[in-house]
Amino acid sequence: MARVSLGRGGDLPLTPGDWFAQPLSLEHYRAILSGGPMARFALNSIVVTAIAVPFQVLFAAAAGHALARARFVGRGVFLALATAFLILPRQVTLVPLYLLLSRLGLLDTYPALILPHLADPFGVLFMAHYYQTMSGELEEAARTDGWSSGAIFRRIVLPLSGPGLAVVGVNGFLITWNAFLHPLVLTTSESMRTLPVGLALFAQSEHAVDWGALLAGSSLATAPVLVAFAFFQRQIVEGVLKGSSR
Amino acid sequence: MRGRRAGALGLAPWGLFFAVFGIFPLAYALALSFLAYNPLRPDLVRWVGFDNYARALTSPSFWHALRTTVLFVVGTLPVTLTLAYVVSGLLASVRRGQGFFRAAIFFPATLSMVVISLVFKSLYAEEGLLNGWLAAASLGRVHWLQDPVLALPSIMLMDVWASVGYYAILILAARKTLPDEQLEAARLEGLSRLQVERRIVLPHVRPVLLFVVLLNTIRSFQIFIEVFVLTRGGPLESTLTLVYHLYERAFYHFEMGYASALAYLLLLLVGVILIVQRRMLGGDPADAPA
Repeated sequence: MARVSLGRGGDLPLTPGDWFAQPLSLEHYRAILSGGPMARFALNSIVVTAIAVPFQVLFAAAAGHALARARFVGRGVFLALATAFLILPRQVTLVPLYLLLSRLGLLDTYPALILPHLADPFGVLFMAHYYQTMSGELEEAARTDGWSSGAIFRRIVLPLSGPGLAVVGVNGFLITWNAFLHPLVLTTSESMRTLPVGLALFAQSEHAVDWGALLAGSSLATAPVLVAFAFFQRQIVEGVLKGSSR
Repeated sequence: MRGRRAGALGLAPWGLFFAVFGIFPLAYALALSFLAYNPLRPDLVRWVGFDNYARALTSPSFWHALRTTVLFVVGTLPVTLTLAYVVSGLLASVRRGQGFFRAAIFFPATLSMVVISLVFKSLYAEEGLLNGWLAAASLGRVHWLQDPVLALPSIMLMDVWASVGYYAILILAARKTLPDEQLEAARLEGLSRLQVERRIVLPHVRPVLLFVVLLNTIRSFQIFIEVFVLTRGGPLESTLTLVYHLYERAFYHFEMGYASALAYLLLLLVGVILIVQRRMLGGDPADAPA
């Protein structure tokens, strides 16, 4: 992938010899940077991920904490529904989400690409489990001292949540960044496509696929994942072991 | 007491989104599945009862898509499972640089399926690297994705490549919970490596293997990106899977009611698979990986 993206023109190296013989060039990357659809796709992906993931993390902490500590009617129902959603084929919500967002006039906008990600149950369940295994003594002590719930959450719970939230954040990033089916359906204009959608549709043109540009775009989609993987491999694996779904 | 009730407020932000973009669409889809619903002709919306389901169950396309999906599972699952098990064993026995190998094996699981599919599309292309190699070895070209017989196996091959690492890591984690003393004792009794694998390791990781079978089956039933990028269901519908069929019905033909019935059939199928595999294989697969 990296090799072809660094070549010239749009052809693939046919023989293993060409692999080494063809000159290296940054032409495709220069084309991306100087505007063109790929730059727009990348920008959309960045905007969506940068907005969705912090909210996912915050929601997971707040909701996970509530499910782990507070006792209220319907708690068991929430846990059961969230767990069911982890296993459920996501395609079931595809058509209704399309109709819902179209009714709200949000099709082909950033909110359409962002809002559905905020309903993701994995982070909430993961954090609920995380807080269940964490002692609540400190919180109880603070409560006895008359601290408000908000203060306890901000000044005691959140600072102790780092390792768990890292797992939620990194896995949320991977899922949001790589999302395909929903963004494909919820966008209609080329300028709103995210990288995966843009790349896949770019490859659809039946004749003369520009492999150089395509694989340069693919490298662009892969680079942030590679960086995340290099720094957070442990968190990614932990998320996978606990049932983070792609 | 007041504080405890306030604590439940933390659930509100996520709960709201979960209700609007999770639970509501799920119920909406069920309602839609009983309607004839074309968003372009809102005047023609009407209740059709179980007609959509009846239509699916008598439609050759549905059964064809189901058969393709089952073929996909049957063709990939044994290979993926065996390879993942073997790879996990190799990883466990590597003494130096285990971290590096583990990372290298697992990395594909984090990649965008679109990117993986594009790279394989370039490899499988008529002028691609695979045919280049065949030519260099003086062999003829293979039409990896254009031949109705080969297209599905070509996608299956990619799927195995893309998922082995993920499952190998799951199995490796289970291996690591096996006490070293137990392995040591078995070796002292003079069991060969193969016997240790069969009598001690395999029974120990069995719950996770069952979990992998389950997860892989469910995921295979949802295959879409691979087909969308590589073949668009062709040639001659040889790679038409359930979800691709659903997508075409909903977004090319705008048969939203019918597509919703297909979605619920998919949901039902996955549910049945969950229950059957749980019964047949025993244990609680949902608990296995933690």
